[in-house]
Amino acid sequence: MADLNQPPDDFVNQFLDDYFAECEEHLAVVRAGLLNLERFVDSSIADTAQLDELFRSFHTIKGISGMVGLSPAEQLAHEMEGYLRVLRQGEALLSKEGFDSLIEGTKVLEEVINAHKTHAPAPAIERTIEILREVVAGKDTSVTPAKGQPEQTQKTEDKKQWRFLFAPSQARSEAGINVNTVRARLQSIGDILSTTPLVHDGDVLFELIVSTSASESELDALKDLELTSEPIEPEEKVEPITPTSGTSQTISTSVRVDLVRLDQLMLLVGELVVTRARLEKNLKSIRTSVTPVQWRQLQEVHVAFGKQLRDLRNDVMRVRMVPIAEVFDRMRFVVRDISRETRKQVILELSGQETEIDKFLVERLMDPLLHLVRNSISHGIESEEQRIAAGKPAEGHIYLRATTAGELVVIEVGDDGRGIDVKSVAAQAPEVALWDDEGRIDFDRLLETISAPGLSTRDHADRASGRGVGMDVVARAISDLDGSLSVFTEAGKGTTFRIELPLTLAITDALIATADAQTFAIHRSAVQEVIEIEPGSIKVLENNEIILHRDEVLPLVRLSRVFNLKDKKEGSLHAFVIGTGNRATGLVVDKVLGLREVVVRSLSDPLTDVPGVGGATELGDGRPILILDVMEILNASRHVYASQQSH
Amino acid sequence: MSAENKRRILIVDDSRTMRRMVATSLSNIGECRFEEAANGLEAIERLVLGPADLMILDLNMPELHGIEVLKFVRARPMYQSMPVIVLTTKGEESVQREAMAAGASLYLTKPFSAIELEAKVRGLLAEAGDKA
Repeated sequence: MADLNQPPDDFVNQFLDDYFAECEEHLAVVRAGLLNLERFVDSSIADTAQLDELFRSFHTIKGISGMVGLSPAEQLAHEMEGYLRVLRQGEALLSKEGFDSLIEGTKVLEEVINAHKTHAPAPAIERTIEILREVVAGKDTSVTPAKGQPEQTQKTEDKKQWRFLFAPSQARSEAGINVNTVRARLQSIGDILSTTPLVHDGDVLFELIVSTSASESELDALKDLELTSEPIEPEEKVEPITPTSGTSQTISTSVRVDLVRLDQLMLLVGELVVTRARLEKNLKSIRTSVTPVQWRQLQEVHVAFGKQLRDLRNDVMRVRMVPIAEVFDRMRFVVRDISRETRKQVILELSGQETEIDKFLVERLMDPLLHLVRNSISHGIESEEQRIAAGKPAEGHIYLRATTAGELVVIEVGDDGRGIDVKSVAAQAPEVALWDDEGRIDFDRLLETISAPGLSTRDHADRASGRGVGMDVVARAISDLDGSLSVFTEAGKGTTFRIELPLTLAITDALIATADAQTFAIHRSAVQEVIEIEPGSIKVLENNEIILHRDEVLPLVRLSRVFNLKDKKEGSLHAFVIGTGNRATGLVVDKVLGLREVVVRSLSDPLTDVPGVGGATELGDGRPILILDVMEILNASRHVYASQQSH
Repeated sequence: MSAENKRRILIVDDSRTMRRMVATSLSNIGECRFEEAANGLEAIERLVLGPADLMILDLNMPELHGIEVLKFVRARPMYQSMPVIVLTTKGEESVQREAMAAGASLYLTKPFSAIELEAKVRGLLAEAGDKA
């Protein structure tokens, strides 16, 4: 009989994308909600607003899962909803077992939905459902929990209650003022205790009771909403009809756009950049055939075009940026989960959640970060006894930090655990020298070694890291994103992994230079300064060319020699200063042609996978030029010099 | 029939996937204009701004429960004859009784059959047309 009600496949298929997207949103709400709920485990207070919100999310997932015929998800959501109903109605307290079952249920629910998305076999749900049912059946009815909204019991003295009336009308609705936007605005100045529809003189009004510490001037700023407002005495107890909570009120004015469309937009902007460069070239060729006045007018238009194009490019790029909190919030859940599994107490400290990254990076960063966090907890953080014995606080700390530095996003995953066991790594890779002559750890080599496929410093992979990706996959994922990974570790103190990623991927500013009649582009962000060099000022020291620059010795690397081209015979040379301090190096070219905006095209053909070449671009004349990866060139050169020096 | 004369169907559900499913199920009816509301307050506001010919109402929603919406709407003379289909995820039987008592014309559960929903909506619209 159920089959008759089952919607046909083609009906369902057209909603699958919406289904997955909406499930993902609700699961994010659920994860955040469960974390907030944890402090009420075994407490006599129930956060009814939070329970309501969780209930509704599971309720919606249940409803839409049923519609797309994903019955395991429907069943799981149904059981979770059932337990939340019991809690909401005050028939039971949130027990530790109950809370764990919600966490486990959410995890399995997510796996079921993801499996459906990737056409993978669905995980078993029977055990999870059994546990949820046991929790509901074993509810302790002898307790009479005090229902309440803890958020509101902490009301401070300076908060006043206001009564606002909003009369919806066609004109206001057309001006974008409706009950949702009114609520969103009031939410920004205080807590909405209730919203009730009323009938007054035959008209329908919405009455909103708001608790706020906002000043008169802040209330004045709401004038455009045309509300009537009056303060109400605190004695007038207002019973909220519908409890509200933090995350559900985001009445968004945003639009969901498929990332593919944004990519298409970015591609078009890229084409425009190339066309503009072509226009510039053509303009130059007619300079002598137009009058100076005409030339100036053409130039003005051209410069304005360039500026507008740059603004357009920045705006399109900004559309793609989302706060990294999207990734970090997910980690909060993961940390909680793994720390329970490993029976370690872990405190997660987040900073820089507002840092924006390209949406494209969000999904791609999830797995590498997940693995680093997992490693930190299961390998880095010691057991409670070990920590106490070592004089450390019993609970371990995991740090997730994000910042921007120039055109880079820097993400750090750190812990205050035991540090990487370098001796054990060395034992597994005896051919690698992990220490320098003075006994300091060579962190680059250490990272290279632990990122080699198959290396594990543990005899047997434990449960947490066994199911994830290895360090080799982390390193590859970061390098695929044109990022770099580094590590710092100290025995007994902890380990920090640092990921640096380019903020923008497609279009960048580049310096254009030549060597032996070949043209190259170099990312502007990599260059500290451009200097002119007289050939006579170059000194040779132990096979290395150097010059004195700002009273310091600056080693030089000739681009012509890197690519086996001819050195420039006459006249002065230019050099890009790359890096700072004693890592600074001058990359010598024949001539610098200028600064250009270029569209980066990746070279995916393995035949063109040449060290030192990071991509290709064109400058408007249709001929491709190479974009250099200067760090790779300089690193390779340093090794050459080092080996020359050792002979 | 001009846009003005098209019948207005208000779909109230906090899930946008569900709202799309409902609208798609009814897309064959023709001469209809669909409006959507994501919560109970928005539903009432929509009705205040212009009466609908039929409302499809979810119950478990944020801000204002569907039953409250129904009670408020039925208490206003101008909405007393508007057909309202309560479309909600299967739950306790008491909910159905409550919905009918509050003035639902029909009570259907999710997962729903697109064909059945279309037939019921056609039936209710025709009935309302006959009365008018």
